[in-house]
Amino acid sequence: MNIHAYERLWLVASMVLIVGFIVTITYGTVGLGITMVDDREETISPDDVDEDDRFQDPRVEQVGENEFEAYVVSMTFLFQPDPIEIPANNEVTFYVTSRDVIHSFTVVGTNTNTMVIPGEVSAMTVEFDEPGEYGVVCNEYCGPGHHDMEGSLIVHPEDEYSLTELSVDAPDQVGPGEDVELTISIQNGLLEDLETTVDVEVGDETLEQDVTVPGGETEQVSVTVDGDDLEPGDAEWSASVDDEVETGTVTIGDDADDGGDEP
Amino acid sequence: MTDLFVDEYPEQARLVRAAFLTSFVALGIGALFGVIQALHRTGVFRIVESTTYYTVLTGHGVFLVITFTIFFLVGLYQWAVTDSLQRGPVDARLTWSWYGLMSVGTLIAAIAILAGFLDDPPDVLGSELSADVLFTFYAPLQANPIFYAGLVLFVVGTWLAGADWFRTWWAWKRDHPGERIPLPTFMVLTTMIMWYISSIGVAVAILAFILPWSLGLIDSLNPTLTRTLFWYFGHPVVYFWLLPAYLLWYIVLPKLSGGRLFSDPLARVVFILFVLLSTPVGIHHQYLDPGISEGFKFIAMTNTMFLLLPSLLTAFTVVASMEHGARQRGGTGTLNWLRALPWKDPAFTGMALAGLVFAFGGFTGIVNAGMNINYLVHNSLWVPGHIHTQVGTAVALTFMAGSYWLVPQLTGNRLVGRQIALFQVVLWFVGIVFMTNSMYRAGLIGVPRRSAEPQYAFDYEVGVGSMTELDVQLALGGVLLFVSTVLFLAIILLTAFNTDSDPLVDGTIPPALSGPEDSPRVLDDLRVWIGIALVLVVIAYAIPLASIVDRGGLFGPDVGPFPVVVDGVMYLQHGVAYVGVLIT
Repeated sequence: MNIHAYERLWLVASMVLIVGFIVTITYGTVGLGITMVDDREETISPDDVDEDDRFQDPRVEQVGENEFEAYVVSMTFLFQPDPIEIPANNEVTFYVTSRDVIHSFTVVGTNTNTMVIPGEVSAMTVEFDEPGEYGVVCNEYCGPGHHDMEGSLIVHPEDEYSLTELSVDAPDQVGPGEDVELTISIQNGLLEDLETTVDVEVGDETLEQDVTVPGGETEQVSVTVDGDDLEPGDAEWSASVDDEVETGTVTIGDDADDGGDEP
Repeated sequence: MTDLFVDEYPEQARLVRAAFLTSFVALGIGALFGVIQALHRTGVFRIVESTTYYTVLTGHGVFLVITFTIFFLVGLYQWAVTDSLQRGPVDARLTWSWYGLMSVGTLIAAIAILAGFLDDPPDVLGSELSADVLFTFYAPLQANPIFYAGLVLFVVGTWLAGADWFRTWWAWKRDHPGERIPLPTFMVLTTMIMWYISSIGVAVAILAFILPWSLGLIDSLNPTLTRTLFWYFGHPVVYFWLLPAYLLWYIVLPKLSGGRLFSDPLARVVFILFVLLSTPVGIHHQYLDPGISEGFKFIAMTNTMFLLLPSLLTAFTVVASMEHGARQRGGTGTLNWLRALPWKDPAFTGMALAGLVFAFGGFTGIVNAGMNINYLVHNSLWVPGHIHTQVGTAVALTFMAGSYWLVPQLTGNRLVGRQIALFQVVLWFVGIVFMTNSMYRAGLIGVPRRSAEPQYAFDYEVGVGSMTELDVQLALGGVLLFVSTVLFLAIILLTAFNTDSDPLVDGTIPPALSGPEDSPRVLDDLRVWIGIALVLVVIAYAIPLASIVDRGGLFGPDVGPFPVVVDGVMYLQHGVAYVGVLIT
């Protein structure tokens, strides 16, 4: 076959270019370890998402030192959980599935981007080194409300990150002069022990108590405010641990300030 | 001057005209939908509800990349086969029946799509008449069954068209034993071989799974499987749009430049490479898909990179042919020959600008093909940027420019408004530069494609410029492209009625500088290439498909349908889901 000399040269240069592209991509995959979403996860029927350990309660979990897992459910037209909160500079593996149609889970401005196909679980391990709030969007058309499908990802600085959950058991009403007792449960989702302080406010009274919650466990703290220190009427209370705050109201005295609505 | 095509082959000319007419009607509607989208998603002007945006988007996709491109293809290929074999089909009834089948299929699918504009669409075959599923119709989004039925009829029509051209060639071969296949016919036949191999994927996806499922005959399907079958077809289909443009670049552009094709053998090699490599690459559209292992994605990536080769070879041959033409016209110097090209000819200028945009878009395609960089741009506005430079300009602008050369030969009428035609192709180029500049840049900062309102609670981090500036560029580009389309359609329409005139075109195609006698005869042995292409397809797809079926089952892990519900039902579901979130 008669090929012009220039054309031969061009052909060789083209092949060099092509092989060069393949080499750089292979280097990115093998050398830099940029792995791809693949078939490592088992399939799951969309109907079983609610029974699945990972997805019945979409959440973030710590699974090892500097290793976290986020279980995310996509559906028309939202993501659960929302927001997703993770620490910076830690490996986070996202597991994402869909309840209905094909979506995507896309953290805007990053390469954290995967299709979410009903029946499949997408797994991708990433590490964010810049704390901040990132937008999460679905970038695969999923129905008439597609453009409303939005979530957010909050990346906390590593030393400010906690997986603390707070619940408070407090009375709605106490008699005049009675003590107000708040029982505060602190759940530590991290593997490390949590050494912190519980701040309680009832009315004008403030109390503090130090607490240590072992990794993965829940501790209860009881705080009692002397009834004599409280004015009759509605008293606001709040209990806080780090950034978590619970609030409520306790009524002191019998039907105090409650007669106005009576005819 | 030789006889015009319309005088030599009046019946074929009628068919080509009919195909072009359908194609251009679709172009007009698709362009209107396009400008509506450009203005809507940027928030400049919203004429439809955002929920209806997706009806517009489905129409834009289907009418432009299915109807406009493929009807133009069948028209052009009918011309190419007839002109290069110098004979009509064996039986004209077959020719008209494939045209009829394609038209009926288009009409049915169009009705399903356009019904999406009705407030209260009627029920047809047990479900609401609508098809807001976009051009990719990913299950479990579900359209009305007639949408899929329309697509099937259309594709069967294209299969018959291919059969018709093969039959014409076989008849020619009997009369011309031992002769090489004329290059235009060779291009037509190889394109159709690629099309037969690749459209099997979408045929199986629709006939075995999606159509029976939309009729309620089966309850569940495997979305990963139907999606993979779609992309088995979905990448080669882009070459089905592109190869008619290649035909014009190889056959017509050198002549318009004032010379002749540089190398006939290399043109054949290029088309054979497309037959071999177009299909075993589809998984590169699924780099982000779960359920497909990294190894298969890697194979698709390497195959895709080798697909650069035919396009790089084309760049060489086309530019070399243009330079040869320019030098024939008295051009000299290293680059000064560029001045000697016929820049006042809209057919030439349109194709040359299209080729320029195609070269740029090719590099953005390499970014898409790079499997790890792809994660940054996948489904962002970058991707429609790529599509609009490639199909939306390399193909569409070449078709329009080609029409300026071809339509006078098909009608016997002189082209009306040659100056305006020149303005039209340049306007298209300017429009696409604005629009895709915005799309590429917006895609890099994460603006999603296929969204009615890509404005969210967060702000995009625009590196250079601002979001407003990007939006304005996109909207402006969209408007310029729409105006350019209207000008094109007006020129063609006026030309069609410009009956009392003689066209100023010469339809003869000069032989290549280096003719087919320079190439081994095996290039023309199509059976060899079909065999190798099938082997490559089996290597690339057998194991991935088996693995998908093994993992999720042929009919999926119990994935129910999800009709595209509107208004009441949708907001109810949305509301229930939202309450669910608040509780949990």
